[in-house]
Amino acid sequence: MELAIEAHDLRKTYPAGVEAVRGIDLAVPAGEVFGLLGPNGAGKSTTVGMLTTTIVPTGGTARLAGFDVATEPLAARAVSSVVFQEAVVDRSLTGMQNLELHADLWGVDHREAQARIEELAATLGLGELLGRAVGSYSGGERRRLEIARALVSQPRVLFLDEPTVGLDPRFRAELLDIIAGLRNRRDMTVLLTTHYLDEAERLCDRVAIIHDGRIVALDAPRALLAALGRELVELRIDGDVASALSSLRERGVAGDDAFAVGSRVTVPLHDRRAREAIAAVHELGLTGAISVREPTLDDVYLRLTGGSLATAA
Amino acid sequence: MSSIDIAVPATRPRRGLTLGPLSTLARRRLRLTARTPRELVVPLLTPIMFALVIAPALHTALHTDTAYEAFVAIGTVGLLIPLNTMFSGLGVIVDRVSGAQRELLAAPIPRGFLVLGNLLVALAITALQVGVLVAAALARGIRFDTSAPGLAWFTAAVVLFTVAMYGMAEILAARVPRQEEYIARVPAIAILPWFLAGALFPITALPTFLTWVAKFLPLTHALALMRYGLDSDRSGLHAIWGLSDPRAMAALSLAVVGTFALLLAVGSLRVFSRSAVR
Repeated sequence: MELAIEAHDLRKTYPAGVEAVRGIDLAVPAGEVFGLLGPNGAGKSTTVGMLTTTIVPTGGTARLAGFDVATEPLAARAVSSVVFQEAVVDRSLTGMQNLELHADLWGVDHREAQARIEELAATLGLGELLGRAVGSYSGGERRRLEIARALVSQPRVLFLDEPTVGLDPRFRAELLDIIAGLRNRRDMTVLLTTHYLDEAERLCDRVAIIHDGRIVALDAPRALLAALGRELVELRIDGDVASALSSLRERGVAGDDAFAVGSRVTVPLHDRRAREAIAAVHELGLTGAISVREPTLDDVYLRLTGGSLATAA
Repeated sequence: MSSIDIAVPATRPRRGLTLGPLSTLARRRLRLTARTPRELVVPLLTPIMFALVIAPALHTALHTDTAYEAFVAIGTVGLLIPLNTMFSGLGVIVDRVSGAQRELLAAPIPRGFLVLGNLLVALAITALQVGVLVAAALARGIRFDTSAPGLAWFTAAVVLFTVAMYGMAEILAARVPRQEEYIARVPAIAILPWFLAGALFPITALPTFLTWVAKFLPLTHALALMRYGLDSDRSGLHAIWGLSDPRAMAALSLAVVGTFALLLAVGSLRVFSRSAVR
């Protein structure tokens, strides 16, 4: 199996002593869309920074398409492109000039670059924008331009660092369609960082949940969800949440994977029936709102870290 | 939700390391500079004012000879170069704060090329501005006494001093987080030494201890070289070295300016490469 991204015990401690990444192992096969999921400050962008050689690791190793990012940085950069979380463009230059700059720096033949730009502009709806200064673009237009720019050099590894942050819902939906289109490419590996669960579920073949600089779970989204069963009961408890969770466990309603966050107790049902669980709750005299629903990646994240992605982000 | 198919052709082999990216980066900087005309015009205003208005006014008021106008006109080059290069350094902060620096850092090119690309444009703009200044001085009736070797000395001094001052600007831009803080430091770097370096009067007119300070300023050597080259005026070199052979003195001053340029150019490459990545 050809690996597009490899990392072994990758670490970053900033000079102030902040341990942003505390030993990450990754093995992403070529052609996979891989998600790094976690709240702001979890270490996602630092990991991407180390893989793209803009942040120097303080430990461990990493390779892109076989090239070591520390000892062969030029080769590693030649096979990759990045769409950054913030706007990283020359605003006073036109869209076309920004695209041509990338093509030139990545060594794309001029004629080939023009053909690629034309094709990408048509696909991403940039045709009429390319003659304008990028400073006049809307957020969504600028994002599309940045994705087109990253694709001009035909990267073997594409990094998308929180690509939809700050976009309004319409642009976000548009952009998700575009990124979903990238899934059809089997010779390009995509590493997507996000704190949006729906993005990860929809776009990624596998997801690593990153928390406090460590990967706490790594699997296909469905497999991560399957670990919580098909249904779960969520209780919003009036009173002592910890003792309520203990009572539910003693009664056999909740297993070891039940968890409590704030006033909420979440009980994966697995092979238990929801009706029986609800009856047990009433018998225990627990009061509060009860609901039954399918698990989400947020539940996976809550169980693993004790903090909600949505609130953390 | 529907999806859009984006066909990306198979990856092809990459070319080896060439100087092509350097010209790409220089072209980019030139385009950015051309879109901010203040970078071209503002550094030129004060030197032109000194060369064309203040020097003739002093000539009239103080009854100096006509050579004084040429003296000041060349002296203003020593103000033009630091102002121009410091303005160029502002572009580095703009790149970092709201521009494409991270994209450039992710490109498969040596990161020193980013500095060198900017330096090439700083040199080109300096050449243009010095040309405008000299042409304006000639049009104002100021005469220079030069020769082909003289022009070579003058050009060498201008180029090396520009390299040095651009290195200084890059280092400052790497160290200072915001434009406001950068601009606040410009007078100390670009203007203060100019008053001590014999731009408006010979350094021998300064108090003795300041004369000694002036002898250690690279700008003093650069200006003395420029006057020797463009106006056959060896007095500045003599004030520094006290020798009788003007070529030997010019070579010594060129070595001083060249060393200054080398140190700051290498320093700027190192500082940028270290500060651009975290």
